[in-house]
Amino acid sequence: MKGQVVLVSRLAARDLRRRPVEALMVLLVIAAAATTLTVALALSGVTNQPYQQTRLATAGPDVIAVEGGVGGPGPAQPVSSAQLAATASLTTAPGVTAHSGPYPTVYSVIRLRGHTVDVVAEGRDRAPASVDQPKVTQGGWIRPGAVVIERGFADALGVHVGDNVRLGGRSFRVAGIAVTAAVPPYPSSLCHIICPFPVPTRTLGRGGGVPNMGLVWLTRSAVAGLAGSGNIAYLLNLKLANPAQAPAFVAQHPGTFTWQSIQSAINALIGIEQVALAFGGWLIGLLALAGLGVLVGRRMTEQSKRVGLLKAVGATPMTVAGVLLFEHIALALAAAAVGLVAGSLIAPLLTGTGAGLVGTPGAPSISVSTVIIIAVIALAVATVSSVVPAIRAARTSTVSALADAPRVPPRRPMLTAVSARLPVPLLLALRQLSRRPRRALLNAISIAVTVTGLVAILASHAHIPIANLTISNLKVDRFNELTVIITVMLVILAAVNTTFIARATAADGRFSSALERALGATAGQVTAGLSMAALLPALPGAIIGIPLGIEVYHLLASGTPLTVPPAWQLAGVFLATLLAVTVLTAIPSRLGARRPPARILQTE
Amino acid sequence: MQQEVVLALLAKEPSQGYQLRARLDEVLGPLGEGLNAGHIYVTLGRLEKTGMVALEEPPQGRTQLADRKVYYLTPAGQERVFQWLSEVPWPRPDLAEFHLKLVAAAQAGLADPVSIVDAQRRELLRRLRDAQRAAMEEPDHSDAALLLEGVVLRLQADLRWLEACERNWIGRRERL
Amino acid sequence: MTSAVMTSTRPVLRASGLCKTFGSGAAVVRAVDGVDLDVATGETVAIMGPSGCGKSTLLHLLGGLERPSAGAIDLAGDPVNGISERALAHLRRTAVGFVFQGFYLMDELTAIENVELPGLLAGRSPRAARARARELLEQVGLADRTGFLPSALSGGQRQRVAIARALINRPMIVLADEPTGNLDSTATVEVLRLFESLHESGQTLVIVTHDQRVAATADRLISMRDGVFVDEMRMTGGSRGNLGKLIGLEGE
Repeated sequence: MKGQVVLVSRLAARDLRRRPVEALMVLLVIAAAATTLTVALALSGVTNQPYQQTRLATAGPDVIAVEGGVGGPGPAQPVSSAQLAATASLTTAPGVTAHSGPYPTVYSVIRLRGHTVDVVAEGRDRAPASVDQPKVTQGGWIRPGAVVIERGFADALGVHVGDNVRLGGRSFRVAGIAVTAAVPPYPSSLCHIICPFPVPTRTLGRGGGVPNMGLVWLTRSAVAGLAGSGNIAYLLNLKLANPAQAPAFVAQHPGTFTWQSIQSAINALIGIEQVALAFGGWLIGLLALAGLGVLVGRRMTEQSKRVGLLKAVGATPMTVAGVLLFEHIALALAAAAVGLVAGSLIAPLLTGTGAGLVGTPGAPSISVSTVIIIAVIALAVATVSSVVPAIRAARTSTVSALADAPRVPPRRPMLTAVSARLPVPLLLALRQLSRRPRRALLNAISIAVTVTGLVAILASHAHIPIANLTISNLKVDRFNELTVIITVMLVILAAVNTTFIARATAADGRFSSALERALGATAGQVTAGLSMAALLPALPGAIIGIPLGIEVYHLLASGTPLTVPPAWQLAGVFLATLLAVTVLTAIPSRLGARRPPARILQTE
Repeated sequence: MQQEVVLALLAKEPSQGYQLRARLDEVLGPLGEGLNAGHIYVTLGRLEKTGMVALEEPPQGRTQLADRKVYYLTPAGQERVFQWLSEVPWPRPDLAEFHLKLVAAAQAGLADPVSIVDAQRRELLRRLRDAQRAAMEEPDHSDAALLLEGVVLRLQADLRWLEACERNWIGRRERL
Repeated sequence: MTSAVMTSTRPVLRASGLCKTFGSGAAVVRAVDGVDLDVATGETVAIMGPSGCGKSTLLHLLGGLERPSAGAIDLAGDPVNGISERALAHLRRTAVGFVFQGFYLMDELTAIENVELPGLLAGRSPRAARARARELLEQVGLADRTGFLPSALSGGQRQRVAIARALINRPMIVLADEPTGNLDSTATVEVLRLFESLHESGQTLVIVTHDQRVAATADRLISMRDGVFVDEMRMTGGSRGNLGKLIGLEGE
């Protein structure tokens, strides 16, 4: 038994060492796929946990009552004492176990470094509250003349402890930065749920919708000072005996909202980004699959001869399968490890929205389940690549496996006749494609997916102009950041795929290329032929990708009219894609055509 | 027993009958087991009659026993040997004669076995060419075509053996 | 042994001092170690030798499929060594036709499509190439099999297609590397007949072989060993008059 294991590992190791470039490409393709999946999985568990943690850390309320003017533009209405009394009675409603507030809250404006941003300012006591005590992460809590800023907002403003800001015309020092679970973090705000303030028309965002508003805490007296013309609202935090009952409670008492709606608001905020991420993830996943498809197909045919040899020297089917599996598993696990590491480095770039919540900002942990899933997928790829040839070999006779009669390519008389009329590189390219049509298809799909992604991203940018980069459009900033990262990942993966396919084609066609050269084709013509064999399928792929990208964006961004990016951008993407394919395939093709034909043709 | 073979064996040095037989045994290996011991003496007798071979004078007074007689080559015999070495007859059903030719030539230092082989090869190749051409001119399934095909294939086989001989003798030469 | 051929016309192929070494250091292999060869127009030259003697390498050098480490090759006055890759390809299209032991036909093309391929690569019009291909297939006796795939042809037929392919661009010289190596004796005869007829029509042939039957058809037979020529034979003469000697009926 031990001898078998030694043999298996030795055979596998020798094979890997004999063709290092091949092994490296396999590693790259699987690693790229693993990275994508890692990122996607890491992101899926991002927001739920941190919010729960924040609730725990800040003694978050189960129900929040807002007493003040009705939301929407219009003249302010001061809160009557009757309303205030009604609010106070909530504290004794059945099911309520604790409360804090009511806290006065005003709408104001913060000025910082020439920027003007809307804020909600809440007045608090210096002493800690029993329900909803914001957790200070930097600096200290409020004191006269000082303000505490919500962390998401602080990050967006770029403000630090000790800075001076102007709030409603007065200067305040930033005492600290804190997080809370009672209000959704920036760029969401209270007003996304219930808006007690009249919203000045000038800050109404383009296309309607509530503008981004930040949250700050001040002393009660400071808030009273900001109040000005009396448009103060009051926030009351309630804790229930059974938090799950919050929706029922809220149904009975108007003017309140649940902690679940805060969670939803957060999710909605993340939602847009999640759509972008999901979309990007799907695209990249498809690309990875296309690459893996070519890889597995290639490995399967290559292994047949090896299997025949092993059988001929007396290896049992078990040993044969063992050798193949060993090699593939080694590669796949290495690739999975690389993918997990790369994924864990990339995922944080995509999760900046965690800033407003407790938990290390921007470092979603790679959970055990993620590792397991990635490992399982990698092993699945390895298994399919090894098991299928092993099974096939067990069925066929050893002799025919050894003879390695390559599957005769199907005959295509039309194509042959047409290609005869074309210049030599096209002739060679068309005949090359007809030998492996499935690979050409995967190539086309790969390019189509890439172009679809790029065009969709362009369409989204056409819809939300990039030009306006003021702070209140941080949401747009965030989106741009995301799309840049997704674009980069998409392009890199597409490049890996294209190079891999080109190399595979050059390597597989090595014999016919040598023969063509022996029959009189120049090395330049053969290289051009191989390049064209990669470019010809890319063309329809790129062409389809354009309308597809526009349509996909239209579907995702439901409700928006059909956005078509400017023609020059579309042309740019199209040409850039074709150029990239040409460049990437030139090198492997050229390398393939260098060696003297005699060496390759020698049968001795 | 081919007469020329015995002559060639004597070319090395005068020998007694049994010595010649011993050398033959060695060279022919198991193939020589069928040889009747008496044949050598019969051949030697014939050769003596034709004047190719002569007996050495015994020391005075003593008569020689039959197998103690020492034979040697006469000038006529020597000439016949040289003639034989340069001939390229074929076909012979047995290869032993050619084989012995080579061995004898090498042992006696008369000629380079490799050039003997080469000469024979050339001759056979010429014959092969002739036979092949003739075979191609015949209609495909005629009797003549069949016979010619046989001739061609035999010649081919013999040529292969000649190549082996060449390799062998060149190897021996290089080792010396 | 050099072959100083005195021909009235200039030799089609002239090679002098050809060397090809593989590997380096202690593992260096001198596949071809100083070979001179002249081939006259219309001549058939056969090169024989044991396996590993370098004859295939020599042929590859002559056909421009491999570059010599040293020496010069001349094809009808134009040099072959030291020219660019592009020029070599041009050479392979116009001056040299190659026949391989393994036939090397494209499995997915029919006989006629295989034959016309070098013509297309040389830039001829599809029509012209197709016509010439048909002509050649007729010449090799496969007029009724032009539309067959290689898998439907016997070994001898495939090699004949390969020979037709080598002829499509009217090469000055046809180089054949063990053309009968993969064939049985019947197929060998087919190919030999073809070579004979090519010879009669004046085509220059250089054949590397270890089959004496093939060698016997040559005008000149060169023996090669360890990368050098060691012997040369002119296969002249031989008439039907001597055929009686071939069988032993005449007695001793």
